[in-house]
Amino acid sequence: MLKNYFKIAIAVLKRRKFFTFISLFGISFTLTILMVLTAFMDDVINPTYPDLKRDRSLYIGHVELRNSKEGWMNRSSPSFYFLNHYAGSLKTPVNMTIFSTNTAASAYVNNKKVVLDMKYTDAAFWEVADFDFTEGKPYDKSQIDGSQPLTVITEKTKADYFGGEQNVVGKYIEADNIRYRVIGVVKNPSVTSNTYYASLYLPYTLSKFNYKNTDIMGGSNAVLLAKTPVDREKIRKEYAQLVTKIPTGSKEMDQLFSHADTYFGDKVRGLMGSGTETGQRRFLLMMSLAIGLFLLLPTINLVNINITRIMERSSEIGVRKAFGASSKTLVYQFIVENLILTLIGGLLGVLFSALALNFINQSDILEGLHLSLNFTILFYGFIACLVFGILSGVYPAWRMSKLAIVTALKAQ
Amino acid sequence: MFKHLFKLIWNKKKQNALLITEMLVSFMVMFAVFSMAVNVYRNYKIPMGFEYENVWVINLANSPKFKTADSSVTYYRNVRNTLMSMPQVMEVSYSSSNTPFTGSFMSTGYKYKGKQFNNISYYQVDNYYKKAFNLQLLEGRWFNKEDDAAAYRPVVINQSFKQEIFGNDAAVGKNLDDYDGKTDQKRNKIVGVVADLKDHGDFKPTDRGIYSRADSGFYKWMSRIIVKVAPSADAAFEGRLYKTTAGMMKQAVIDIEHFTKKRDAMNKENLTPIIITTILAAFLIINVALGLFGVLWYNINKRRGEIGLRRAVGASGNSVSWQIVAESMVLATLSLILGVFFAVQFPLLNLFDLSTGVYVNAIVLSVIFIYLLVFICSLYPGKQAAAIYPAVALHEE
Amino acid sequence: MISLQNIKKVYRTDTVETIAINGISLDIAKGEFLSIMGPSGCGKSSLLNIMGLLDAPSSGQIVISGSQTNNLNDKSLAAFRNQKLGFIFQSYHLINDLQVIDNVELPLLYRNNISAKERRELATEALTKVGLSNRMKHLPTQLSGGQRQRVAIARAIVGRPEIILADEPTGNLDSAMGNEIMDILMNLNQQDGTTIVMVTHDEHMANKTHRLVRLFDGSQVQ
Repeated sequence: MLKNYFKIAIAVLKRRKFFTFISLFGISFTLTILMVLTAFMDDVINPTYPDLKRDRSLYIGHVELRNSKEGWMNRSSPSFYFLNHYAGSLKTPVNMTIFSTNTAASAYVNNKKVVLDMKYTDAAFWEVADFDFTEGKPYDKSQIDGSQPLTVITEKTKADYFGGEQNVVGKYIEADNIRYRVIGVVKNPSVTSNTYYASLYLPYTLSKFNYKNTDIMGGSNAVLLAKTPVDREKIRKEYAQLVTKIPTGSKEMDQLFSHADTYFGDKVRGLMGSGTETGQRRFLLMMSLAIGLFLLLPTINLVNINITRIMERSSEIGVRKAFGASSKTLVYQFIVENLILTLIGGLLGVLFSALALNFINQSDILEGLHLSLNFTILFYGFIACLVFGILSGVYPAWRMSKLAIVTALKAQ
Repeated sequence: MFKHLFKLIWNKKKQNALLITEMLVSFMVMFAVFSMAVNVYRNYKIPMGFEYENVWVINLANSPKFKTADSSVTYYRNVRNTLMSMPQVMEVSYSSSNTPFTGSFMSTGYKYKGKQFNNISYYQVDNYYKKAFNLQLLEGRWFNKEDDAAAYRPVVINQSFKQEIFGNDAAVGKNLDDYDGKTDQKRNKIVGVVADLKDHGDFKPTDRGIYSRADSGFYKWMSRIIVKVAPSADAAFEGRLYKTTAGMMKQAVIDIEHFTKKRDAMNKENLTPIIITTILAAFLIINVALGLFGVLWYNINKRRGEIGLRRAVGASGNSVSWQIVAESMVLATLSLILGVFFAVQFPLLNLFDLSTGVYVNAIVLSVIFIYLLVFICSLYPGKQAAAIYPAVALHEE
Repeated sequence: MISLQNIKKVYRTDTVETIAINGISLDIAKGEFLSIMGPSGCGKSSLLNIMGLLDAPSSGQIVISGSQTNNLNDKSLAAFRNQKLGFIFQSYHLINDLQVIDNVELPLLYRNNISAKERRELATEALTKVGLSNRMKHLPTQLSGGQRQRVAIARAIVGRPEIILADEPTGNLDSAMGNEIMDILMNLNQQDGTTIVMVTHDEHMANKTHRLVRLFDGSQVQ
């Protein structure tokens, strides 16, 4: 039966080449766009270098103070002190790192300007994040405690600052009017992996900002590492419990919120949520609404073309019914046919996606961004194909199956 | 004739309903795209109102802290003198952190004769700001030394804000009340009016704005130094400027940016979503155009009998092809009536913060666009219909 | 075999009612070859469609092979047609996208418990019967009118139905081809005992059948 459907589907596709072209154009481009979007989301959500332990990590990126009476709110990244003092006292995490958000500084070399994103980190930073060193090694705790002016730089910084030099470990880089000795060089992190992204990593004791300041807010982030992915829930609860006991330190603000979220949870909360809202429901709603709206027009278009195509085959419908096909069987046949069409479009879509991703990677729209197709994306693309094929096939098939046999036979 | 066309369409309402839906959704897509495009174009046409070429900004983080406001004022006066003494520095000015092309906003509210004005962009700047950016003064004067000893707090407002409060009357000399309505002759005395600054990039509108003269408290939290340099200033000079500044404030983290680059970055940021939307819309419209064309073309083939008969009873080839095109145009009109009904809700309900003029332009443009699209898509099928010979078509029946 | 009792068919539009069949009763015996004649618009095709359960009568009873058919749902009707009936149309109604052999197999696709191999065998057999076993892999568009109609006959008989309903099977063919088709039908009737009901315009063809029914304005006149 399926073989028969396949035969007829291919024959129909070959006969009206123009319609086939329109359908395939619509399907393949729609899927290409969806798949590029998925690849981007996949890159953002899934562990990418150097954030490879993402499934065991929890991120503390925000602290929020509120005045419950007036509704005032103040949200920012926590201070080094806050993270060290409170998050540092948690029992469950097996490791933890605290590091600053990036500050830009200009460096001038050979009458050329290089803008550097500086990140001040602790020693555990190099254990929690999985950086690949192409040269040298990270700074350790004793070097940090000794406030030694050391730095780990990225390959991009190396190229920008030192030009074509081979080995730069032991050389000095002058940024922000201070000379730092290069101790290590790491492969470039992607901008989309913005937890760990920077171009110059420095011991936190060198920070010009006072890391001993006991304010709650102050430009630092922490990543907590759990023993297993499941353990994260325990840490999340432990931190939530702890946060309820932290004083706000301000007369105006009476409530304090801070969460140890998963990577995705932290980003979504930062984007759409608040201290009391995870924002995930809103995020999912907005995403599905946007995708739904985007799919609306291609779907209507495909429905229109399908109806035209199906009506063209009214004689076939009449004959099939006369020789014993029930309406249900015919609906099934046309949906299968349409799925075959969408899957062919899907294959083309994969091809176009590969080209589009290659183009995006080549053009370096975002620094260090490297998108690729993987099984997850192909799987989602396949699901999108099925949904698209069924959506655009059901109504025409239903219309067609309702056709009276006599009318269908007469139409030719 | 039109009655005849309507009859034809009505009798095939089920089939046409889908076509109408498709045109309607296409119209809404185009309406969104054109609203965006018209808005962007209008913003693009607004004059910049200031000069940012060869103007740099020194961003200070962790700037020096002083016990008293006066000592900070003295400190920054010295910093300014040092920088001004550099050969290629033309002007030095201090500003709050919402410098042009930054994406940083500060806003406040005022009252004038009991009327409330909210969301006014608020800039705190010094006497030299006008010269650094070459602002265009329309009325009155900019801040100067005589304000030092004045008993009032001087402000300069921009053209949009002035227009909203005073219309065509003069603004200089009037006093604005604070947002809480406290009235006091010493507050917010308008000393000048400047042209609007388009300071969020080429494609964003100007805001209503007010400039408040930097007071001694301002210097405690100073974070932006605006430096106008000579056209000959290069990276080597920038390096020297950097060293000089860093030498004066050891604790600060310093970063120098050029406003031309900041403008490019901001434009890129503003344009990216527009370009992505346009690409998506173009793809959708090509899709729709092909679909419409295919369906109309097929319909003609299905109606060969009817068309043959029309030819047989004396319709000319032209009138037949005209009929096909007209039928599609009637369909388009039906969907456009629906579409415009939805589209006018946007200005009526004031959804999104766009002016009515933008919406009206967008509606007109998208109506023309859809008519043109449908016209082009039905032209070839119409021509094809004209080529049907009555004898052949009727024989097939 | 087929029993029609007081069949009426009325077509309604918004303004007009057209009576296509006005109370026809007819009994057709097993193994009979019956032809129906009449001028255009007399309702003969409507009657055949009703007999073939392709269209429902406005009123009246149809009993085929002892089964009452009035209250069957879509699925049972489809199964009934598939098992008991075979159709031949004036304009062949072959599926041009499928090869001859696939066209002939079509009715078997809608039967359960029949393997692909069996289908192929039965279809080949039916094609051999109409003398087209050498055209199996052709597309219908590559065949002449007479050949196409023979394919249509093969399709009608492949499921071994008890009744074949033919709507002007020779209407689009010249007389030589028409006679060829008629011979095949008569053979089927005589050798396999298939009951055949044929609508025709052609007096000459009608005279070759067992019984002739004439319709005029929706009523039986002979």
